[in-house]
Amino acid sequence: MQKQDVSDGADEQAAAADNKDTMPSAGLGGEDPTALGSGGRSIEIGNFRVFSDLRLPEYDMGNCKAYAADNLRREEGGAFALVTDPSIPTRYDLIRFLTGVHIGGQIDLLDHEIAPWPPFDQKTMMLFYEKPAGGRVLVPGEKQKKIDEHDFSKIVIEPLMNVLQAVAEKGLTHRNIRADNLFFEGPMAEKVVVGDCCSAPGGFNQPLVYETISRMTADPAGRGLGSVLDDLYALGMTIAALGIGHTPLEKLREQDIIDVKLSKGSFQAIVMNEKLPLALIEPVRGLLCDDPEERWGFAELHAWLDGRRAKPVQSNTERRAARSQNISGKDYYTARSLAQGISKNWVNALAPLRDGTVENWLRRGLSDNDRAKHMAEATRQLQWGGADKRAAEDILVAKSIIILDPTGAIRFKGFSAMVDGLGTMLSYDVQHGRGPQRFADVVMRDIPAFWFGRQVGYNAEVQKLQQAYKNLRYYVQQQSAGYGYERCLYAMVRNQHCLSPMIEKSYVVNIGQLLPALEKASETLPDDAWPIDRHIAAFIATRLDDDVEPQLLALQNPADEVEYSRAIISMLALVQWRHGPDNLQNLSHWVARLMEPAVKVFHSKARRERVEHEIPKLAKRGNLVELYNLINDEQERRKDQTEFISAVEQYSESESEVFDLESSGPARLELAEKVGQQAAAFASTMIALLTVSALFLMHIW
Amino acid sequence: MARKPAGSKKKGTFSGLSVVASAVLLFMVALPTFITLAVGLLPSMIAFLFDRSQGRTMSRCIFGLNFSGVAPYILEVWQYGSQSASVATQHVFQPIALSIMYGSAGLGWLLYLAMPPIVANVLNLSAQRRVSELRKRQRGLIKTWGDSLIKEIDRSGS
Repeated sequence: MQKQDVSDGADEQAAAADNKDTMPSAGLGGEDPTALGSGGRSIEIGNFRVFSDLRLPEYDMGNCKAYAADNLRREEGGAFALVTDPSIPTRYDLIRFLTGVHIGGQIDLLDHEIAPWPPFDQKTMMLFYEKPAGGRVLVPGEKQKKIDEHDFSKIVIEPLMNVLQAVAEKGLTHRNIRADNLFFEGPMAEKVVVGDCCSAPGGFNQPLVYETISRMTADPAGRGLGSVLDDLYALGMTIAALGIGHTPLEKLREQDIIDVKLSKGSFQAIVMNEKLPLALIEPVRGLLCDDPEERWGFAELHAWLDGRRAKPVQSNTERRAARSQNISGKDYYTARSLAQGISKNWVNALAPLRDGTVENWLRRGLSDNDRAKHMAEATRQLQWGGADKRAAEDILVAKSIIILDPTGAIRFKGFSAMVDGLGTMLSYDVQHGRGPQRFADVVMRDIPAFWFGRQVGYNAEVQKLQQAYKNLRYYVQQQSAGYGYERCLYAMVRNQHCLSPMIEKSYVVNIGQLLPALEKASETLPDDAWPIDRHIAAFIATRLDDDVEPQLLALQNPADEVEYSRAIISMLALVQWRHGPDNLQNLSHWVARLMEPAVKVFHSKARRERVEHEIPKLAKRGNLVELYNLINDEQERRKDQTEFISAVEQYSESESEVFDLESSGPARLELAEKVGQQAAAFASTMIALLTVSALFLMHIW
Repeated sequence: MARKPAGSKKKGTFSGLSVVASAVLLFMVALPTFITLAVGLLPSMIAFLFDRSQGRTMSRCIFGLNFSGVAPYILEVWQYGSQSASVATQHVFQPIALSIMYGSAGLGWLLYLAMPPIVANVLNLSAQRRVSELRKRQRGLIKTWGDSLIKEIDRSGS
């Protein structure tokens, strides 16, 4: 739990006047979370006091800004707070693993908190790091502190290897190893530590040159978690950067870096443009090998550190064609570069794909019959595309890119993401105005399924991703609340905060935070709004361990307001039952006001009145579970239902009898005439008999 | 129109013949009784001739009361052993006797006319009472179950 406090400054008025223009006057929840500390405005968050006007730009990480912070529990050692960008998801697994753990070579993540940050006017994730005593190893645009070649292994490679091994042992990846994210651990510059790796998705902050050939073509948000091999590649590039004193190929544009790496291979691209120290050539060549199978691992690095000779690797294994394939006036000699060329010239690439030029190039230029066969198959499928010709053509282009670069990113009309980066890419698109359409197009056209089909050999990670993808397709196909792209988003990105407009500012990442956030939101939201929207439904469905499919099924039909409201109350009650808190006064009152349709679950007026009478009492207690139980007494409901059916039957029978009676007037008259005449005849006969009998008796007496 | 069964026609003819035979026999054996009956039961005979209702309820109705009015005079004829046609005729054609005999036949006809409306009223009253009971029951159901009952009825009705 985060605790927030306010500290007083020495000269409050003056400082307040100084900061008036830059800081909002009130924080979240109506109270002012900032105040003047000895160094200016400070916010107490958990065990730390963060100075919001004391920036530490040297510790910034991409969009995430660093601020000075005091550790309130410990006197020694400095700390800084990295305020993450709420529009970019953080890395859940790494935060959990690294918090409070010291790993040699990794900057210490002391703690993390979700707390209000006034400049954002919302809550966000705060990462509290131990401040390294030495400065940044490589500051872009500045001259690098010289690291002696003989000490290079001890100062740089060993600490970084240690980090990568520790992370890899947990089945995780670092994905933020680069020269300008290294700090000297102490003032003597004896060792480096690598900086933050939790504030953004894997590879998001990496310059393109640090990404492998497979991942560099993906958008930064879609580069994916990758594997330890991607970290080793980044390590190789880091060594190269530190060896030459700046980021390799920094003078080239991104497209040129991609082109040169694709055409020459990573290592060749570096040595052609930069002057690498001789001593570092061997590990850089091994680590920058573009074939992941051939790339150096920890064993080769250890061998090199021990002075043993490691096996030589071929730096570029990409086959080069005898003749080029031209797309939009540019010649391509390798399959991967052609794939990238096609993705950048989406419309113009269609003609050579459709007329079989690319297939012929694969067969004759590259002598790759297997890929040519798959290309021919993909082209043939174009004819079966049905009515939507345009969609079939897009699928052909996307498939041809995968055939040419099977381990690369999925590229589809400007969308470019690795399969393990689909979630973060979606998150980025949704939070940066692009919307979910590109992701939905990729999934609906089943492009990832083709990508999985083109993977060679068994890979447990790929299998896991494939299984997860099957669910995504199902989610996107469903249109109702609890499914759609929202469900994919929360299922794929564990640290994605709930994007419901009602609670987005509360930065709800865990299910336990949901109800307190809704409780707070209920103070300001209109009474007639439902407390669950598409985002919250998907968030609950993903984060809650219990099965809520029946409730989601009921949400598919908002016209059935009884079942709809019951489903919503049921979901909220389930969350409260599992994760608390026990008292949710505002939310209970909100729910109580919306329970009117749910009360209709009972047909009997007496039962309804009883429930309506009970609702305010239970709402006052703030317990949603009790409120739900009130309308979900199964025995009572069944009894009510049975009695209602019987009442309906009785009413119908009565109605039909009344109708019969009211419409049988002429028939009754006819009957009355007949019966009346018969009765008259009978009476007359009886009178005659009585008269005769009486006369006879009188005569006898 | 359904044909009348041959059996019932035969029965009717037989019944008519037996009445004529009885009348002839009575005429030959007891003329004063015959005269009394013939004069007294004249309205019944007319009713019998003109009654086309099923089961001849009108003639049965008139005959019953008409016979009740004639019976005392028949008994009177029988009480005097030396019956003669002239005495019988004298008795029968007295205005009081005729009034009683024909008046009783009229009462029979009135009974025939009055009974159907009375029965119709009884049946209507009974139906009204039943409708009122059923409406009351429906109101009770609506009171217990409210709008949902009406909605359900409307839904199932539509």
